[in-house]
Amino acid sequence: MTPARRTGVIRPPTRPRGLSRRHFALALPSALLASGCAAPHQGTGRPGDPIVLTLLSHYASGELKAALQGPVDEWNATHDRVKVRTKAVEFTDLLTTFMVRQAAGQGADILHPYCLWNGQLVRAGVLRPAPPEHAEEIRRGYGEAAVGAASVGGEVYGYPTEMQTYALYYNKRLLREAGAAGPPHTWRELEETAYRTARRDRYGNTLVQGFGLSTYDDSTTVGQTLALLNAAGGRFVAADGRSTAIDSPAGRAVFGLEHRLVTRGASAPGVNVYQAFPSGQVAMVVGAGWWTGSLKSLMGSAYRDVGVAPVPVPEAHDERATLCTGFMLGVNTASRFPREAWQFLSWLNARKAGVKGASKGARATRMSTLQVSVGSLTGRADDMRTLLGAGGDPNLRPFLDALAYAVPEPNVPGAQQAKSLLRKNIEALWTGQQSVDEALRTTRRQVDQEVARSW
Amino acid sequence: MVNTLAPETTERAPHPTRAAAGALGGRGRARRRQAVVAYLFLAPALLFFAVFLALPLGFALLLSMSRWTGFDLGDIDPVGLDNFTGLFADGSTFLTPILTNTLLFALGTVALALAGSLLVATCIDKLRFQGLWRTLYFLPIVTTVVAVGNVWKYMYEPGGLVNGVLNALGLGSVAFLQDPDTALPAVVVVQAWASVGSAILVLTAGLKSIPGSYYEAAALDGAGPGTVFLRITLPLLRPALLFVCVTQFLTGLQSFALIIVMTKGGPGDATDVAALEMYRQAFSHGDWGTASAAAFVLFTVVLAITLAQLWIFRRKGEDA
Amino acid sequence: MNRRRFPWLSYLLVATGAVLTVVPFLDMVMTSFKGPGEAGTLPYRFLPRAFDPSNYRAAVDQLDLPLLFRNSVVATALITGSVLLTSSLAGYALAKLRFPGRDFVFRLVLSTMMFPPFLFFVPHFLILVHWPLAGGNDLLGRGGAGLTVSIVALAMPFLVNGFGIFLTRQFMIAIPDEVLEAARIDGAGEFAVWWRIVVPQTKPVVVTLGLLTFVDAWNEYIWALLVSTADPDVMTLPVGIQLLQDHVDPTRTMPVVMAGLVLSVLPVLILFLLLQKHYIRGVMLSGLK
Repeated sequence: MTPARRTGVIRPPTRPRGLSRRHFALALPSALLASGCAAPHQGTGRPGDPIVLTLLSHYASGELKAALQGPVDEWNATHDRVKVRTKAVEFTDLLTTFMVRQAAGQGADILHPYCLWNGQLVRAGVLRPAPPEHAEEIRRGYGEAAVGAASVGGEVYGYPTEMQTYALYYNKRLLREAGAAGPPHTWRELEETAYRTARRDRYGNTLVQGFGLSTYDDSTTVGQTLALLNAAGGRFVAADGRSTAIDSPAGRAVFGLEHRLVTRGASAPGVNVYQAFPSGQVAMVVGAGWWTGSLKSLMGSAYRDVGVAPVPVPEAHDERATLCTGFMLGVNTASRFPREAWQFLSWLNARKAGVKGASKGARATRMSTLQVSVGSLTGRADDMRTLLGAGGDPNLRPFLDALAYAVPEPNVPGAQQAKSLLRKNIEALWTGQQSVDEALRTTRRQVDQEVARSW
Repeated sequence: MVNTLAPETTERAPHPTRAAAGALGGRGRARRRQAVVAYLFLAPALLFFAVFLALPLGFALLLSMSRWTGFDLGDIDPVGLDNFTGLFADGSTFLTPILTNTLLFALGTVALALAGSLLVATCIDKLRFQGLWRTLYFLPIVTTVVAVGNVWKYMYEPGGLVNGVLNALGLGSVAFLQDPDTALPAVVVVQAWASVGSAILVLTAGLKSIPGSYYEAAALDGAGPGTVFLRITLPLLRPALLFVCVTQFLTGLQSFALIIVMTKGGPGDATDVAALEMYRQAFSHGDWGTASAAAFVLFTVVLAITLAQLWIFRRKGEDA
Repeated sequence: MNRRRFPWLSYLLVATGAVLTVVPFLDMVMTSFKGPGEAGTLPYRFLPRAFDPSNYRAAVDQLDLPLLFRNSVVATALITGSVLLTSSLAGYALAKLRFPGRDFVFRLVLSTMMFPPFLFFVPHFLILVHWPLAGGNDLLGRGGAGLTVSIVALAMPFLVNGFGIFLTRQFMIAIPDEVLEAARIDGAGEFAVWWRIVVPQTKPVVVTLGLLTFVDAWNEYIWALLVSTADPDVMTLPVGIQLLQDHVDPTRTMPVVMAGLVLSVLPVLILFLLLQKHYIRGVMLSGLK
């Protein structure tokens, strides 16, 4: 509670005989209870005062927070009637925060959900469909995977922002030391390289993993597996969105590959890959594009050892494919100022502005500029060409190329639960609690039940 | 607001009438006065129980039989027992592993805490400085679960104390919380560690209430320490043991704070328990109906296990 | 039993157990003094290389400790104050006043202890959201955030405690009726009798119950986590520290987290050590821990 919110509503204890200690003891709780009755701060509501829009995202700390704050400050400096205030929580708390605050009548005007949740949020009536002119602007400006991620049932619900594709990160030094010529192209090469680079000490503590498997959270754990699944030509959710398609030859191939990597000692899923890779303890790992930014700031000069290649495919002649996940900015159904919110979003995501530090006349949307500044991508191909055209981190290239052939993550209602179930089962597979067959079967049964229930 | 202010109304009632009623106006009026005063004294508590006990129970029951996707109270959609059948449908993870995890967690905690506390309590009984020992064993109980969970989580890590000791003994490292086979036992150990203090307390009191004459008689008969323990100590300790068992089981079946702090139910669903699943269904997935149904199922389990324990202990009491 | 010989085996067992109990606390304190890169790295070391107090300053900075402390203190004070007051009032009525329905009310109070807290998370939250005429709500509890956006939300579900009422009643029954009757004849109203005669005599139970409630309220995590998610301004110490632990690279910040934990555990630990007799009696009586 801010002080402003509280003062003015504390009722003075109306005691005719002055405050004795006893009266105070009784008055204190009631005064505190009364102070709880203050309305949440939502702008002053007086005519002439600016409208304040709140924006809730997971850009909670460090450069992400600063990158978003830049354009928001610019908007606030140039617009008198509508002001935007950012709020942020960590990504792992974002969905719960959306749901809890919505239930508490506290939902922000503008939300920045992970597209995976769109089905759930739309079904729960949290997200507002984009008005026709904005929907049109979105369909025109973004690639197919991005528009698909931001849509539910064919209707567009927001401006796609950060788009992540998955590719293979590798440590050039570790590969070189193990005698590998370059990053693997096929799964056979991937396995060979992984076994050659892995090392352990005499207590069984892992020193170097050949191929890292993240167990950090749902997104990284499932992301790497789905990227391999898509590369093998498979899909997680069937076309009608009501059952899973994991129990297929492609699914079996991915589960088998991961299972072998773990049992033969090339992967130690217990180790946090996101700490181990930057410390040079992991040779290869499948990860999303955002990681380049963190790695660069975390590793300093050691970043020159990091290379990125497309996700390997089962056979040399297979067509490339990988996973594409993303976020979007949408408007809350509970917002009292939807028109202003959409206007701000259009300004942030679709209006082009000059790019600082780039060649003269180079123009891109503010969102694209901010995403690229933190090492991420958006689904606007024109902006990406402008911003990544020359110079820049060559490691971003494979992620950018992948935007053309990546498969969007399914966002049916229940997708988050389905993802958690998949995660549980692949972790059980990695730790030897389930065989490949069992894992495929249980995943199918559990996901089918969950996804069917959610409709 | 109302309930904290209520007592003042009684105080402001003019005293003279009250005195007069007591002295003159028949017993009936005095009794009625006292009834009114009594209910004024009880008003805060009764009001609270109405709003925070009766109302929520009714609300939860309604929700458990409804589908409620939205955030508008008008949208509650009754679906009968669908939420309950959904919990036990094929492919649902609620029965296995979630409910079995819950039972294993509670059972493991009770077994460890009971064995540890029985051992320590019988030993402490013979020592000096009993207060000091008790204080030490009590420290975890007054410590917040966030501290307990994080300290142990850190101790279980590869670079933490437990693995440090293992390595010093020449043993290999164990990824306690990352390996699904060890995660649940590892959390059980912490829960037992944190609750053994109060069990020791209750058992010590139970031991002190056993009359010394029993032991003297046993010594005269030449009974060994093992016989004395089995024939005298254990049977006479039954009420205390029952108490420890029931309360620890209750706590074990419903607590998930430690699990949120240490594993968040992972790896996989190795440490996922019913109360945690309920919390997540409601507050992450907005499935209030399923969450409420899960709460009632767990409540039934808790009730059944408690009653079963009381019954078993009573029967044994009759046999003896 | 062989009470005359020195019970060395018992000493060994009890001491080993005590060491196992205390070592995690020592590890917490030691880690809170470790320098950067010293915690969580192989091989494990118990003692820090140099006692580095800077983690405590970092904890104060990174955690917004003043806010967290304030929220924890206010919530704990509200809960403890309210539980003591309502328990004493209701306990007095149940112990010393005669009125129709007394047995029923007493059984009702006992039955409230039967319901486990997890049954109530969802409905309590929704009830606070739809609290009429609060936080922008209308008379029917619609339209606003209700009580969830206020610090009171932290305390609301814990303001009355069935066990507290029971404990206080049992204690008050022992007060002789003659004393109360004498005061009534002197013209004292029931409220005056309660305040001047009964309350001063129940100091022991007040200390015990107050201490139990204080420790529980200070350490409460799940409900505070939920309320803090709705409104981060009411975040309490345990929730704030857990948030730091969850989201920052543990190898670098573990000492800071441990420093925060030491600071959050200290008030309760000190209080416990000072008043442990009362606390232990409370646990004996409740057994609910």
